[in-house]
Amino acid sequence: MYRTALLRSIKCAAQATSRVQRPAIQTAFRAPFVQSRISTPATSISAIRCYASSSGLGQEEVTGRIVDLLKNFDKVQDPTKLSPSSHFTNDLGLDSLDTVEVVMAIEEEFSIEIPDKDADAIHSVTQAVDYIMAQPDAH
Amino acid sequence: MPRLSGLQKDVLVLYRRCLRACRAKPADTRSNFQAFARREFEKNMALNKKDFSTIEFMLRKGTRQLEIYEAPGVTNIAG
Repeated sequence: MYRTALLRSIKCAAQATSRVQRPAIQTAFRAPFVQSRISTPATSISAIRCYASSSGLGQEEVTGRIVDLLKNFDKVQDPTKLSPSSHFTNDLGLDSLDTVEVVMAIEEEFSIEIPDKDADAIHSVTQAVDYIMAQPDAH
Repeated sequence: MPRLSGLQKDVLVLYRRCLRACRAKPADTRSNFQAFARREFEKNMALNKKDFSTIEFMLRKGTRQLEIYEAPGVTNIAG
């Protein structure tokens, strides 16, 4: 069994080398054509979506979603002051319990879990956006 | 927002735990639980923030209450 495996691998290696050699001869004759053939797979790979890579949330998208979320939050006293830079307490008139609710809503929106320590540090839309942008698993 | 004391942070941590517990409740009664949690905290909003022993007592009481309402058998509450 070991010998057949060895023979097979030798055969495969021989095929591989002959396959490699042929394009090498071709390159001598028509180099530009071969070059274009090599470059095509590279572009097609970039079109494949790799699920392990980050979802690529844009800063504007994150800001937009958080502002929309605040728009629907009925405790915001002055919706005209709602902007990507507004502060929860100073601009929107939310108390600390409301802030907790907003942060929890952001958690649900981006399906992540924000630990208590980080959640306590979020007091404005800007801080929330920065935090979400730093999370690789937010989507 | 002014810097919060450790005790104030504990209160917010308890509120966050309450809201997290609400997520485990059925979707149609979840808002009742959230409103209830909010009301329980608002009852004591006027408490002086230097009244440490009272706040600590309320925190313990709240934690115990949370443990009771957290049970999966509790599916609805007066909103």
